[in-house]
Amino acid sequence: MLLNEFLFLGAILFCIGVYGVIVRKNAVLVLMSIELILNSVNINLLAFSLRNGSADGQTFALYVIAVAAAEVGIGLALVLLVYRNSRSISLDDLSEMKG
Amino acid sequence: MGLFVFVCAAAMVLVGAVGVVTRNNPVHAALSLVLTLFGIAVLFVANNAHFLAAVQVIVYAGAIVVLFLFVIMLLGVDQAEDLSLEPLTVQRPLALVVSIGVTGVIIAAVLKSQDALFARGTGIDSATLQDADANIRQLSRSIFTDYVFAFEVTSVLLLIAVVGTVVMSRRQHGQHVEESV
Amino acid sequence: MFAALFSVFVTAADWVSPSIDYHALAPEIILAGGVVVVLLLDLFTSENNKWMLGPVTSFTLLGSFIPILTLALSDSGTRSLFDGRYVVDNFSLTMKGLFVLAGYLVVLLSSDYLREGDFYEGEYWILMLSSLLGMVMMASSRDLVSIFVSLEFLSIPAYMMAAWRKRDLRSNEAGVKYFLLGVFASALMLYGMSLLYGISNSTLLTDIGKYVSGEMSAVRAVAILFVVVGFAFKISAVPFHTWAPDTYEGAPTPVTAFLSVASKAAGFVALLTVVYVGFPNASEVWQPVFWIFAALTMTVGNVMALRQTNIVRMLAYSSISQGGFILMPLAIAGEGDSAGAALRAVVTYLLVYAATNLGVFAVVIAVSHKTRSGAISSYGGLFSYAPGLAIVMTIFMASLAGIPPLGGWIGKFGSFQALVSAGTTWGYALAVIGAVNTVIAFGYYGNVMREMWMRPVPDGDTTHVVVPSAITVALGLTTFATLLMGILPGLVLHFGDLANLAGAFGG
Repeated sequence: MLLNEFLFLGAILFCIGVYGVIVRKNAVLVLMSIELILNSVNINLLAFSLRNGSADGQTFALYVIAVAAAEVGIGLALVLLVYRNSRSISLDDLSEMKG
Repeated sequence: MGLFVFVCAAAMVLVGAVGVVTRNNPVHAALSLVLTLFGIAVLFVANNAHFLAAVQVIVYAGAIVVLFLFVIMLLGVDQAEDLSLEPLTVQRPLALVVSIGVTGVIIAAVLKSQDALFARGTGIDSATLQDADANIRQLSRSIFTDYVFAFEVTSVLLLIAVVGTVVMSRRQHGQHVEESV
Repeated sequence: MFAALFSVFVTAADWVSPSIDYHALAPEIILAGGVVVVLLLDLFTSENNKWMLGPVTSFTLLGSFIPILTLALSDSGTRSLFDGRYVVDNFSLTMKGLFVLAGYLVVLLSSDYLREGDFYEGEYWILMLSSLLGMVMMASSRDLVSIFVSLEFLSIPAYMMAAWRKRDLRSNEAGVKYFLLGVFASALMLYGMSLLYGISNSTLLTDIGKYVSGEMSAVRAVAILFVVVGFAFKISAVPFHTWAPDTYEGAPTPVTAFLSVASKAAGFVALLTVVYVGFPNASEVWQPVFWIFAALTMTVGNVMALRQTNIVRMLAYSSISQGGFILMPLAIAGEGDSAGAALRAVVTYLLVYAATNLGVFAVVIAVSHKTRSGAISSYGGLFSYAPGLAIVMTIFMASLAGIPPLGGWIGKFGSFQALVSAGTTWGYALAVIGAVNTVIAFGYYGNVMREMWMRPVPDGDTTHVVVPSAITVALGLTTFATLLMGILPGLVLHFGDLANLAGAFGG
């Protein structure tokens, strides 16, 4: 089993996700970058579950996937709501309040 | 063989991930996300986590990405971000530095602890020809004993998410809310 | 065929269903039942009968308070379910009581606000009940999976409630910002959790806590950092506070009250459980982090609050800086035997802060009902035409500023006492920073008082402020609690003493 390689892959994927969250200006694309982070978590959980010989990690990964589905549903509903009122989903346009 | 599969899957994952954060067209980004998700599903299969791989493909690639694509199409693809009008030019290099720094820290920490991390456990039951459902049985045992409370609660969470999503995206005509009951 | 079926039954037979203590789960079951009842009632009642949903919600909350009381009074001690993954001890019962009562007060604040605006009413109550359900679960969760699920359970409804004024772009913006940062934070936290699971081969916090530093301390330090940063978003600790002012200002005012009190308290509860049960012997990692968070949060929150002209935005920064004060004792929680004192200080402060801050928002909702303005200057001359409101607002402001003999003073006193009794240089230094910030805070709390008592009424409009009866009740309860906790500190300190956290520091 290639535990280290799995963890490195998870770390790199995590950081690509973080980069995307910081750089992206479009709310939908930010949400996709967050999905990348959640997937890096799943890679880690799988690797540790195999190494530790317990199913807990895989169970945890299942919960992560289920909750991610709920999150994406809510997030896209909010994006639609904003788009309907402002005709834009760029996060830079969301600056009604300052200070 | 294991290494070969891992390298191919990892390449899929990383190419897809880079696509998600760099493509300007949101549809291309969503398709890159599918590539990443499939790469991870391959890793799951290669390590005998068959149920997780199926959930990954059905829920993630099947439902979540389709939802993304659906909203992108609803909003119009022309909503792509215009990189030439980037107001914060300092943000991009800064983000790169932050991400590479964090990756470096994590990898260094893993390398420093690798002797302890490498001590391998027994591995979990994997499906064999004699016992084709060993993996899923072990998973379900874990879900319905130790994690049963979280399982029940997640079902309520999904109900709440459905109710909330409907309320949020329901159109209001006029000042009143009754009309759509 | 039959052989195959038989083998299925044989394998099923060695499965033992987990035994469930339904008494311990009763508060959660009542709340979940309330969600379903309100959902069905909302579906089958006509628009004219929707008023009954608010009372049903408050009865559900009071109903779930009954098992919390019976559990607290029964002497069976700590109840541990699902192999220690869900624990009902005095700490969790105290916090559950706080969440349910705070939720009841928010129901009182919301009912007239919802009636007057153009809102979906039934769904609002459902989301609030489920967010409270998440908080109540958070108080008992003792493993990574339940903490994660509870955190999402309390946050997801809150994201939607922040965007509840659907036509108002500012409310939409509040919801989207809160959502994106909240989800990002929970993703960071999950990454840390996955590493923690890998190190200790268990999702149980007590197993994670047994890990003594060794070869894997580097990975563990990274994991702890990610988990703490994830919760820092939830409690809006600087520099992870950027969502809070915008979300608080844009969200409907009762929702702001809910977020700034209940949601914040839930973040602290999670942080306390994770740190006390999960990382008792890693204080060298989290103590400096909390020290920096506490110092930055107090200072930045205060300095920004001084500059605000909008009352809700000022209260948002005030709530950030109060969060810094609550964090203070955690910066020394690992020194010698100060863990107990720090826990007591945090719990006491949370109880006092909840009562006072909900009271402040009750006044803000009542006044904005008349003035239709969020500017601090609109409080000018409040005493001349609404003396009652001005007096209770003065009490709350003085309590937040920490003037004796009001509740806020007890909270601040406990925090400083815990810091000083640890007897370390870092503890003293943080106490000095805290003291300076207490003085700065008089600036903006005093400003509101000056407006109310000394300034002229803007536009000379001195018509009476009509305070709805529900808000009057909420004001009465919060004023009573704030005064009582200040005059009889033994009462709230008693709860602090009760709040022993099962399994904390291996105990």
